[in-house]
Amino acid sequence: MKNQFPFHPRGSRREEAQINCQLPIADCRFYSEPRYLGCYKILIFLAALLFAGNLFATDVTADFSAANKLYAQGKFADAANAYEKILQTGAQSPALLFNYANAEFKSGHLGLAIAAYRRALQLSPRDAELRANLAFVRNQVQSATVHESRWRAWAGVLTLNEGAVLTAVLFWGLFALLAARQIKPALAPKFRAVTRLVLALTVISGAILGLQAAYHFNSSVAVVTDAEATARSGPFNDAQDAFKVRDGAELRVVDWHDNWVQADVGGRIGWLNKNEIEVLPGA
Amino acid sequence: MADNLLEKFLHLRLPKLRPGLAALFACLAVLSSGAVPARAASFTASLDRDTITLGETATLSLKFDGGQSKNVPTPSVPGLQFANTGNSQNFSIINGAMSSTVTVTFSVTARQAGEFTIPALTADVNGQPLSTKPLKLTVTTASAPSAAAVSSGNEVAFLKLAFPKPKIYVGESAVARLELYLRDDVQNFGNFQLTSTPADGFSPGKITDLQNQRRQVQVGNRVYTIIPLAVPLTAIRAGALTLGPFTASAVVVLPSQNEGGDPFFRQFFNQGEQKPVTLATDPVGVESLPLPEQNKPANFTGAVGDFTMTATAGPTNVTAGDPITVRVQISGRGAFDGVKLPDQSGWGDFKLFQPTAKFTPADQLELSGAKTFEEIVTPQNSGVHELPPVSFSFFNPDDGQYHTLTQPAVPLVVKAAGATPMPAIATGRNATPENQAPQDILPIKENLGTLAQIPVGRDSVEPLIAKPVFLITQSVPVLAFLAAFAWRKRADNLANNPRLRRQRAVAQLVRDGLNDLKQFAAENKSEEFFALLFRLLQEQLGERLDCPASAITEIVIDEHPVLRGAPKMTLDALRELFQLCNQARYAPVRGASELNSVAAKLEQTLGELQEVKA
Repeated sequence: MKNQFPFHPRGSRREEAQINCQLPIADCRFYSEPRYLGCYKILIFLAALLFAGNLFATDVTADFSAANKLYAQGKFADAANAYEKILQTGAQSPALLFNYANAEFKSGHLGLAIAAYRRALQLSPRDAELRANLAFVRNQVQSATVHESRWRAWAGVLTLNEGAVLTAVLFWGLFALLAARQIKPALAPKFRAVTRLVLALTVISGAILGLQAAYHFNSSVAVVTDAEATARSGPFNDAQDAFKVRDGAELRVVDWHDNWVQADVGGRIGWLNKNEIEVLPGA
Repeated sequence: MADNLLEKFLHLRLPKLRPGLAALFACLAVLSSGAVPARAASFTASLDRDTITLGETATLSLKFDGGQSKNVPTPSVPGLQFANTGNSQNFSIINGAMSSTVTVTFSVTARQAGEFTIPALTADVNGQPLSTKPLKLTVTTASAPSAAAVSSGNEVAFLKLAFPKPKIYVGESAVARLELYLRDDVQNFGNFQLTSTPADGFSPGKITDLQNQRRQVQVGNRVYTIIPLAVPLTAIRAGALTLGPFTASAVVVLPSQNEGGDPFFRQFFNQGEQKPVTLATDPVGVESLPLPEQNKPANFTGAVGDFTMTATAGPTNVTAGDPITVRVQISGRGAFDGVKLPDQSGWGDFKLFQPTAKFTPADQLELSGAKTFEEIVTPQNSGVHELPPVSFSFFNPDDGQYHTLTQPAVPLVVKAAGATPMPAIATGRNATPENQAPQDILPIKENLGTLAQIPVGRDSVEPLIAKPVFLITQSVPVLAFLAAFAWRKRADNLANNPRLRRQRAVAQLVRDGLNDLKQFAAENKSEEFFALLFRLLQEQLGERLDCPASAITEIVIDEHPVLRGAPKMTLDALRELFQLCNQARYAPVRGASELNSVAAKLEQTLGELQEVKA
């Protein structure tokens, strides 16, 4: 009992410790002021973080509601600005991007709307409303556009994080089963079928994750956000015109050079100025 | 003497000399010559020739002697066009008298034939108003030389224009041939320029020099070299059309009339004499026929010539909305400007994008080649099963008939855009879900949902697989499995190796036994001490010699082959320990210190014994 140190708000805890411990302070192994103080600091920090997080969320929710109100009043451009301001704070959610995309579409900005829908899809790939609106806006685009391959659409059913967690769970499960077989060889025949199933699932899940990661880290899509953009044969303003694309056209990014992006649509390749497009990494 | 040298140095024509440099030379000249006064100023105008042919250029020179005008007058005459072509300055000092001359030149071209007078021009030179005399310029119309003149061989050069056919259809292309004839004594020619190419009712193409078709012909009693030029022409209106007369100017080099010197050297060093010539052709009449209305195909768009067509499309296995590239290549001979992408009125199930066209000529005149149209089309629904046939019509002037080329339909496999399911609320209650297209986007969401915070400086949240902690964590199950695997291997090894198992059991027994020995020594329990000592010796030796412990006696030390390789000290110690055990049976009482030293000796001996190779 003498080695326990209840928290005393008044007086010196160092003195209390010396009295209770009956040992010289230097020898008292059970007393550690930095650790005590550290614990409280961490708790205070976590509480502050939680509080700040709540404040941030409250703030964003209020702004979100205000932007929704503008949209409901038909002030689509103002609503788009309001949603954009929230996004500029670093806050992101599928609903926020969805509403922003809706507002941009209603303001006549097909490219910005498509870009926002695609960003939202990266966060919530199974949102049917999102997909429906994206398809609707794509249908309004008067230009060639790149569509997802079947593989990509299939792999995109899960977000990258969902794929990573699923693969990790299967991976852990597989090795847990293998370890159990080592520890209890008698269980091996019983576990054989389950192990094979989990192994197959892990391989499939890993392959999908690899595909998702390859798309995420190596592939980008550029969405034209100007009314009309001219793709040039080289990354400079005086280069010959290659082809023209219109607002909302989606192009596969091939290369980068300074302020220029080389993009491909339907086998036609040209350089577009970044000011005319929005590049979606990992899209 | 110095004056003479300076005179020689400065007696140079300095065209377009910089005014500063000219002034410097002038000052030096004035200073060195003792400031001899300059001559009186004058202002004169002259033409390099007083008669030109329409299309030719004459040169007007305005000359200021002994001074310079601040404002150079520019002549203005209706029907003539003047263009400043440059200035030149000339300084000279002759017998101490300095003179400077500034010449301003203009090119003079006429817009029409006739007699023109360039009026007197006035300029202020050194504060003195000076005027030139009026000049006359006669502009004549060029005409082709008569047949008699050509046959006589008097013409140094002449032009001929020929059109390949007397009749042509509107939209048809033909190549007119312009031939420059140069007499055999023309050493060289240059500055050839077509000054007039009237071709009303035709659209001319790029005039091309047919170098590989140059040849020589006998005309009259002289030989001429023909330099042919091709003029592609496309008739653009029906009716009687007139081509030409084409006019041209050139400079020919003829042998110099100065025949002094040795004839042998003259043939090498005669530089010749340049002579400007004006050339003209006779006009050529062509009848341009309208395209017949009879049997004109509905999809005819004006292509006239002789063509073939190929069409390809790909990919053909797509999802609705995916792009398909359609390439239509029309090749052959004719006016490709009138070749357009075939009509696509039956392509209602496709969204069509602006096509691109690229012409690849097969000849210099660009009247034959291939025009490739590339167009992106997207099928709008999964009900599309083929790309419609591509049909192209043209008029062939050779047989005077219309022709239609058709490429068959391309089969397509179009899948529905299944990755984009329509939510239930997108369709009305009575709508047929498969065919009813939504009229507008779905409304906004009221709930913000799960909020993520993007770190500063990034444009998205870092995915899990990019986080080192997540990746390192994945090594945990692998390590756990490896640990279990190692444990299993060890257990299996032990189970399959009785000697190893006994070795480990004996080692454990010895460890425990030594502790007990120390305990017995401390308690001075001599009898238990030696009984345990004897048992430990038996167990350890039995394990090493791979025989039952109960069979071990002192005799094995000398007899067992395994122990022959053991160190002598170890064997002696073993013998001593056995003897101590034997003695203890008869005299068991011993002191604690003695027992402790025996225990220590046993511990050392057993340790040495464990090193002996079994």
